[in-house]
Amino acid sequence: MNNEQLTKITLQVNGIEHEISASPEVTLLDTLRDELGLVGAREGCGIGMCGACTVLVDGRTISSCLMLAVQAEGHEITTVEGLSKGEKLHPVQQSYIDHAAFQCAYCTPGFILSTVALLEEEPNPDDETIRKYLAGNLCRCGSYMNIMEAVQHCREASIS
Amino acid sequence: MAIGKSIPVVDSVAKVTGTIPYGINMKLPNMLFAKILHSPLPHAKIVSIDTSAAEELPGVVAILTGKDLGQPNGPQKLITGFIKDRPVIALDRVRYIGEPVAVVAAESEKIAEEALYMIDVDYEDLPAIYETKASMQPDAPILNEAFPDNCYRHAKLRHGDIEAGFAAADAIIEEVYTSPAAQHVTLEPHVNAAQWKDGRLTVWSGSQSPHRVRGSLAALLGIEKDRVRVIVPPLGGGYGGKGHVRLQPLIAAIAWKVGGRPVKLTLTRSEEFVNVTKHAVTITIKSGVKKDGTFTARQVTLHWNGGAYADSSASLVGSGMVRAVGPYRIPHVWVDSYGYYTNLPPSGPFRGAMSSQTTWAYESHMDTIAHRLGMDPLKLRLKNLLVSGDEFATSEILHDIHFVECLKTCADNLGWERPLDRSGESETVKRGRGLGVMMKSTIPTSQSECRLKVDTQGQLSFYTSTVEMGQGAHTALAQIAAEAMEVPFETVTTIGPDTDRTPFDTTTSAARSTGMMGMAIFNGAEILKQKLIEAAVPLLEHPAEELSVKDGHVIVTAKPEQRMSYAEVVGRNNLESLEALGAFETKGGLDPETGQGLSTPHWHQGAGACEVEVDTETGKFTILRYQSASFAGRVVNPQLVRLQNDGNVIFGLGPAVLEEIVFDEGQIINPNLSDYMIPSFLDIPHQLNGEALESDVGEIHGIGEMTLPPVAPAIANAIYDAVGIRIRDLPITAEKVLRAMNNE
Repeated sequence: MNNEQLTKITLQVNGIEHEISASPEVTLLDTLRDELGLVGAREGCGIGMCGACTVLVDGRTISSCLMLAVQAEGHEITTVEGLSKGEKLHPVQQSYIDHAAFQCAYCTPGFILSTVALLEEEPNPDDETIRKYLAGNLCRCGSYMNIMEAVQHCREASIS
Repeated sequence: MAIGKSIPVVDSVAKVTGTIPYGINMKLPNMLFAKILHSPLPHAKIVSIDTSAAEELPGVVAILTGKDLGQPNGPQKLITGFIKDRPVIALDRVRYIGEPVAVVAAESEKIAEEALYMIDVDYEDLPAIYETKASMQPDAPILNEAFPDNCYRHAKLRHGDIEAGFAAADAIIEEVYTSPAAQHVTLEPHVNAAQWKDGRLTVWSGSQSPHRVRGSLAALLGIEKDRVRVIVPPLGGGYGGKGHVRLQPLIAAIAWKVGGRPVKLTLTRSEEFVNVTKHAVTITIKSGVKKDGTFTARQVTLHWNGGAYADSSASLVGSGMVRAVGPYRIPHVWVDSYGYYTNLPPSGPFRGAMSSQTTWAYESHMDTIAHRLGMDPLKLRLKNLLVSGDEFATSEILHDIHFVECLKTCADNLGWERPLDRSGESETVKRGRGLGVMMKSTIPTSQSECRLKVDTQGQLSFYTSTVEMGQGAHTALAQIAAEAMEVPFETVTTIGPDTDRTPFDTTTSAARSTGMMGMAIFNGAEILKQKLIEAAVPLLEHPAEELSVKDGHVIVTAKPEQRMSYAEVVGRNNLESLEALGAFETKGGLDPETGQGLSTPHWHQGAGACEVEVDTETGKFTILRYQSASFAGRVVNPQLVRLQNDGNVIFGLGPAVLEEIVFDEGQIINPNLSDYMIPSFLDIPHQLNGEALESDVGEIHGIGEMTLPPVAPAIANAIYDAVGIRIRDLPITAEKVLRAMNNE
């Protein structure tokens, strides 16, 4: 590498502190995947349009391909790996399985995290709110009808 | 009985926890990273390539250019395909913007990328062509000297007497439809890695066709197939774009040059757009009809834009010919399907391959005919739809045909017979309804094999080269295996694809896998059950004829309580396992001069109907309701079928109303998901229903494409019904609708 300046940063990911050396231009997405081995967030478009790289930063959805790792310091980051507790899945994850709300599933962690954030913000969202909230996550296989049912179930079951 | 149940897919937990091992996650020990230098010109001579500065960059391990190819004991220059015309990497000429000119392998992606900027290529511009109309001009530049007219395939279908057919018509209606290039946009890009070790090449590839890749690489390298191993991780989407050989030869060649260390190549989103596209096409369709709606003749001329290299297009242009006719009784049919070179990225199959383009033409055309004759579009179709026992334009006699049921299901569920609900209409908002039906052949000659193995633990291992790309094939096939072997679903483990371990399969595409691999499983299970029976003869002390198989046991047929589990049969024979190879193949083919023969083992059948609302002031339209139906034969997993039916409609909405790759002098100006939009939650109908029609005879059909092709014509037909304008060029956009209304 060409005399790259590395900065020591501390990232709080899924409740665990990680001390890492990051170059100032490296994205949060690449840091999560390459440094921390958290591969649930994925690059789909690289420009914040597809939502496959969605993670929660202080509970809000962001595209981790557009956030620099250094910007994430001091914030609480949640990835899909942080949702389940051991073998026990988060109820939103379970609902996605129960409603077969995925096909290739490349987009699924992003959808699940967006659903978690939505229900946190608005525990009883109407269908239109769900559509708008999840419009930033793209599913090319076209599993939207099943995703809608998975989220509706979370709403009915008061999961948040 | 495992068949018929909505069993969650086997990798559900990995999918929701994000741990599914896609190729993009793959890390191999000591791995290098590759980056491609792409041609910036649509057509040019390569005068020189200077890689010396890039080679000096610390961290660069190898750089491959065309000069490395064609040496003894190394990769050949051209990739084996239906027509051998595509170089592994540009030789002395580039033919499209984006064509690989050099590839760098380095210690990191970043170094590889930096090295690209240090490679100096000197080009000499050549005249370029972008549309088939330009390709066919007598003075057009020639892209491949073997085909001086730029046409590498002319597929012909000749059935009956076309002139007599048109002479007998009361009306002749001719229209031209176009469909542009589009991109598959698998959210996971193409990922390939390769390693040369101990005289063997191992390739990890996000491919839909591992054995096709293996065959192509063995030919490229002039080595035996068993010296090439292709391993396929789960794919983040395929949709046909990963079906043919694309970058595997390139990664194999750079790995060969590196020697020893593995090299991985992951495409960026913009690179995906130049890697493979949907075929753009211009379709001229002409029909002769009687006043009562009886067809007398149909002539279709298709000009497919296959881009700069023919490879898979040479075959697909033939498929497009068969798929251009439509599911109707027409006595005299004449089709000319031409594949042309242009200076654009190469094209390949795109979910509903060739059918989504042809159905756009023939189903829009059906409505034009209906309106000309003053007939209801549904009635015109029902009058002419093919049924079992009819002869198709290829002369094959059709069986298991359900177009009428598919279409009627859609029409009934939409309420076609009821007057349209106009309560939502106003001066400026109009509503309309439309429908469409499609007929698609699958691959006529293909083969599927699998290996089934029972062990002493009572586990059934199912080895398959069918690729899991989200469609749930590994779950549906495991269900078939469980049922065929009469064991619980939970005891089945699916292994593969890995060409060292999993036997031959032609490809996971054309919605062939559940049917073809399913038959291979049934055949393999019969053999394995017979082996178990024979192995049980000394243990149960009865001759084989008196034994049979039930619920995972070999039983004495007359005394079912006298039985022994498979595991025990294997164990008491002092074996680790018993196994069998199952195989199934179909053969077909068409006469090259007449297109007569057998085009498919069975027909894919689907339909759609929708209601739209059009704002006449802006041209904006909304699909209020969409109803689809596919013929599914015997359903293996209802939930997976539903995902395919709905997924096809949603995927199909993209090219229908949103997607078009826009070129400017061969340069794609929208190679990203900001300018190239794919359907989101806000683009889909609020009401979307699908039905899978089942058959009593129990043949398992694929359902991966059936409801896609009718989407675009159903919407265009509904828009015509609402505002009386006919859109003939995809995608159907608000701008086109408004412009057409203003021109009325």
